[in-house]
Amino acid sequence: MARLVAMQPRQASPWASSSSPLLPSSLSEFSGAALSISLQKRRRTWQPKGALQVTASGAKKILIMGGTRFIGVFLSRLLVKEGHQVTLFTRGKAPITQQLPGESDQDYEDFKSKILHLKGDRKDFEFVKTSLAAKGFDVIYDINGREAVEVEPILDALPKLEQFIYCSSAGVYLKSDLLPHFETDAVDPKSRHKGKLETESLLDSRGVNWTSIRPVYIYGPLNYNPVEEWFFHRLKAGRPIPVPNSGVQITQLGHVKDLARAFVMVLGNSKASKQVYNISGSKYVTFDGLARACAKGAGFPEPEIVHYNPKEFDFGKKKAFPFRDQHFFASIEKAQRELGWAPEFGLVEGLADSYNLDFGRGTFRKPADFTTDDMILGKSLVLQS
Amino acid sequence: MAAAVTFAAPALPSLHSSSCSLPPLTHRSLSFVAFTSPTITKLSFHRSSRRFSSAPSTSVFSIKAAAAAADKKRVLVVNTNSGGHAVIGFYFAQQLLSSGHEVTVLTVGDESSDKMKKPPFTRFSELVSAGGKTVWGNPAQVGDIVGTAKFDVVLDNNGKDLDTVKPVADWAISAGVEQFLYISSAGIYKPLDEIPHVEGDLVKDDASHVLVEKYMAGLSFSSWAVFRPQYMIGSGNNKDCEEWFFDRIVRDRPVPIPGSGMQLTNIAHVRDLSSMLSLAVENSAAANGKIFNCVSDRAVTFDGLAKLCAQAAGRELKVIHYDPKAVGIDAKKAFPFRNMHFYAEPRAAKEIMGWTSSTNLPEDLKERFDEYVKIGRDKKPMQFDIDDKILESLKVAVTV
Repeated sequence: MARLVAMQPRQASPWASSSSPLLPSSLSEFSGAALSISLQKRRRTWQPKGALQVTASGAKKILIMGGTRFIGVFLSRLLVKEGHQVTLFTRGKAPITQQLPGESDQDYEDFKSKILHLKGDRKDFEFVKTSLAAKGFDVIYDINGREAVEVEPILDALPKLEQFIYCSSAGVYLKSDLLPHFETDAVDPKSRHKGKLETESLLDSRGVNWTSIRPVYIYGPLNYNPVEEWFFHRLKAGRPIPVPNSGVQITQLGHVKDLARAFVMVLGNSKASKQVYNISGSKYVTFDGLARACAKGAGFPEPEIVHYNPKEFDFGKKKAFPFRDQHFFASIEKAQRELGWAPEFGLVEGLADSYNLDFGRGTFRKPADFTTDDMILGKSLVLQS
Repeated sequence: MAAAVTFAAPALPSLHSSSCSLPPLTHRSLSFVAFTSPTITKLSFHRSSRRFSSAPSTSVFSIKAAAAAADKKRVLVVNTNSGGHAVIGFYFAQQLLSSGHEVTVLTVGDESSDKMKKPPFTRFSELVSAGGKTVWGNPAQVGDIVGTAKFDVVLDNNGKDLDTVKPVADWAISAGVEQFLYISSAGIYKPLDEIPHVEGDLVKDDASHVLVEKYMAGLSFSSWAVFRPQYMIGSGNNKDCEEWFFDRIVRDRPVPIPGSGMQLTNIAHVRDLSSMLSLAVENSAAANGKIFNCVSDRAVTFDGLAKLCAQAAGRELKVIHYDPKAVGIDAKKAFPFRNMHFYAEPRAAKEIMGWTSSTNLPEDLKERFDEYVKIGRDKKPMQFDIDDKILESLKVAVTV
C-alpha cells in the first residue's frame, strides 16, 4: 500500500517563518526548498521497486522517546510532513505540541491534528514494555535516553523493530591531542556520557538495526541548554563576555534543524545500518569567535571580551561558561559522504535564526544570572586599579 | 584507464582490517598508494584501522603494473632548492617513478651549490636509480634547460610569486603541457574566527601566491590545480619541524611554547602531499580548476605536538608557556610554527578525488625520532640562545 507524500519544491518548511520580517526570506525559501529536494532524493533511492519487496509502504509507525522540548519538536514535524505516523512518548509535563515562532496557524493545526501521544514514564520499564508491545512500532527515535537499561524494555517490546535511531553524543569521545574526532576514534568509557556509550553497545549486541547520531553542541530556537542564550543575555544587557583562559579554545555548534534533517535522512537508509554519525556544523569556532558570532547573528555591536583564570575563582555549583574548557569538535564528513547530508546553517545565520525565532522575541529558558560574571569582573576591576 | 598501481595493504583478502600505515621508508623501495581510478580509490585504507594501529603493518604486498603507454605521464617538477617545501618534489617524483611515470626534476640553482648538501638533494641519486632525471638551472630558462623534451604535466614547487612562476607557466603553455600543478600555501588564507581553512575561503589580498593562482587559472591548460600545504614531516625534509622539539627533549631542556599552547596546526607526513599530487595527475579531469588544501586531516595543538614528540622519544616533557611580546622576542624566530590557529582541512581532495590521509603522527614521529638518533643529532652540541633568553626572563632554571 504505497503512500507517497506530495512534495512541492517550494513547500514551506516547518520553520520557514514567512511571516517574520526579521528572517531573510531567501533563507527560509532555501531551507524549504533544500529540505524538499533532499527528502525527495532520499525517497527515490529507498522507494522499493517490484512486488518482491516486503514493505511497499513508505509510511512508518514511529515512536519518539521524548519529542516535546527541542530536537523532537523539529524532527516530529519533518516526519509528520513526510507522511509517517508519529507518536511522542512523554510524561506529559510539557505540552505535547506548541506552535513554533513563525509557524503558520494552518501548519500548526495540521501537525497538531496528526501527532499522537503516549503518556508514560520511560523509567517505568514494565509500562514501557507492555505499552510499546501493545501498540507496535516500526521505528524508534530515542532522543532523550541516557542509560542502556532504559532501552532494554523497548527492544524487548518490539522484536520486529525495523530501526532504532539513537541520539548519542560526541561527548563520548576520549579527549585527544589530535582533532577533529572521527567516528572511529577512541571513546571514553569513564566520560560523563558513558550511558550513551553503553546504550550504543547494547544496541549493537542485541542485533537490532540501529543508527547512532553523535551531535556536538546543539543550538537553535527552543534550546533548553543555555548555549547561545548565555551569550544573548550578556549582549542584551550590554555586559562584557567573560571567557575562561585564552579564548582560543575551539568548539563546534550544530543547528537543531540540520540535526533533525540528519535524523530523517537515516530513516530507512540501509547505509546507516549499525553506523555512528557525527552531526554538527561545517566549521568550528573559538570561544572568542563565538561571542562575536552571537553578536553578529543577533545584531549587537562587537562585544567586550574579558579573559580570566577559572582556577582563581570558586564558583560553587554555578557554571561560569557554557562550554567545556578544552578543544572539542568532530568531523561530519562521514555523514556528508554516506548520507548526502550537509548542514544548511552557517554559524552566524544559525545564530540569527535562533535569535530571531526565540531570544529576540523575548523568550528564553533560563533567566539571566550574572553572579559568576560579577565575581570575575569585580576581580578584574580590582586588578586594574 | 589502467595505469601503474602500487598497493600497500594489510594481509589479503580484507582490505579493511589491521594497520594501514605505510612501511617505513627505506633507502630504495618506497611503496606508496597510487590511486589510478575512482574504483581503486575505494579500496583505500579503512580509517579505523589506521587510528587504532599500534604497530606498523608488516605484511605488505605490492602489485606493480607497468603503465600502459597511453597512460604514462611525462612529468617535470620544478623544485625549490631550500625550505620546507623542497621535500615535496622529492616524494612526488619518487611516487610517480614507482608508478611507472617519467620524471624530470629541475632544481633551482647549481648542482654544485652548498644547498645541495642538505636533504632531500642528498638523496637525488635515488631518483636517478629509479629512472628519473635530475637537472639544475634557472626556472626562468626552463625551455632552454629541457630543450625538446616533451612533458604532459608540470609541477611548480618553487615560486612564491608571479615573477618566478610566470616564465614556467608561459613556457608550459607554449610547449603543449596539458596539466599544470602549483604548490601554493595555506598561509594565504585570511585568519578568521571560524576554523578550519576550507577551499574557497577568503585569502589575503596581498599574498603573492594568489596572483600566481589567478594567473594559472587564466591560461589555457587542459587541467590546472593549486595545492596549499602547511607543515610537513618526513625523511628528507630540508627544514626542521619535529627536530625543534627533539633537540630540546633529548637534552632535557624545557620546551618553550608561545601563548597558551592550544594553538592548532596541521602537520602532515609528506607522503600525504605526494599522494594527493599523484592523485591529481591520475585524475586530471576531476582535479581541473580546483584548489586543494594539501594537508593531513587532523589538527594538533602545539602542546599536543610537544607531547607526541616526547612520547616518540620516550622521554619526559617540560613545557614552558610564554608571551613573546612580554619577553621581547620575535615568535617567528623562537618557534617553528606561526603563533596562531593555523589549520586547514583537505576537504576538496577527499570529496573530489576520494583521497585519504595516511598521516599517523604518533607512529610517524617514532620513525622520525629513530632517524634523528641514527644520524647522531641527539649528540650534536647545540646553542639555545633564544630559549635561554625566554627562560631567563621567566626566571626558569635550566640544569644542563
